Amino acid sequence: MDFLAYLKESTVNSLSSLLTMAKIIIPLMIVMEVLKDAKVLEKVSEKLKPIARFYNISNGAVFPLLVGIFFGLAYGAGVIIESAEDNNLGSKDLYTIIIFLIICHAIVEDTLIFTVVGANLWLLFFTRLIVAIIITFFASKIFDKSFLEKEIGDYLK
Amino acid sequence: MYKKSIINGFKKGLDTLWKLGKIIIPVYFFVTFLHYTPILYKLSNFFEPAMKILGLPGEASLALVLGNFINLFAGVGAMLTLDLSSKQATILAIMLSFSHGQVLESAVAKKVGVSLSLVVITRLTLAFTMGVLFNMIL
Repeated sequence: MDFLAYLKESTVNSLSSLLTMAKIIIPLMIVMEVLKDAKVLEKVSEKLKPIARFYNISNGAVFPLLVGIFFGLAYGAGVIIESAEDNNLGSKDLYTIIIFLIICHAIVEDTLIFTVVGANLWLLFFTRLIVAIIITFFASKIFDKSFLEKEIGDYLK
Repeated sequence: MYKKSIINGFKKGLDTLWKLGKIIIPVYFFVTFLHYTPILYKLSNFFEPAMKILGLPGEASLALVLGNFINLFAGVGAMLTLDLSSKQATILAIMLSFSHGQVLESAVAKKVGVSLSLVVITRLTLAFTMGVLFNMIL
């Protein structure tokens, strides 16, 4: 094994990939930060109230869901916990948000990073989004049933 | 008007890049090193039958393992060392995007009270199902 060739190859290749990612990540983060400070998601979530009806969750759950989809789990989790207290989100709301987000989060960032390794951007984007929408729909139906049973059970006690 | 946001965004970009580099560069060195040793060859042979269903080479199993145990960036780092067709890259990316960083991310789910095993199993199942599906249709 040619150790020098190995070092050179690894250094050059990994740094050049990182540089490609820098060209994506830095502009993206700037755009995201501006959108965040312009409170775009707050306004959008007002318009996207039908999501709440679709999953039978409270209106206050739409905003943390969107935050997680676009800004990722770490930041999303903070907003979820905050909204849970401010807007009285119930267990069904939280479960539904988490199921969706565990399947699909930080969608813009993740998708763009994968283009660096040659993946198909739109296929990746829509597959993840659509699968999350469908799975969460069935999960929300199951939650409806199980939470209803629990309520009835509590009532009968 | 959004000068402060732009500066903050730039800082966040650098921060993310640092997080990426911290993982991707060591993983790249590690996996490239493995290419020179018989370890990767053996590992790849072992996983080859399973990876065949997904239309992926045996070495791609390393990207799946690192991506799931460490985080998405580690999976991407390992992917960079592989010579993949665009179909294979898309399949692997779809699989990794459904299931990655299980250790850390599942902890978030647990914090909200969703069962840990449910989350891990759901994500792994989705990743595998989608991998098989896209191998057939692409």
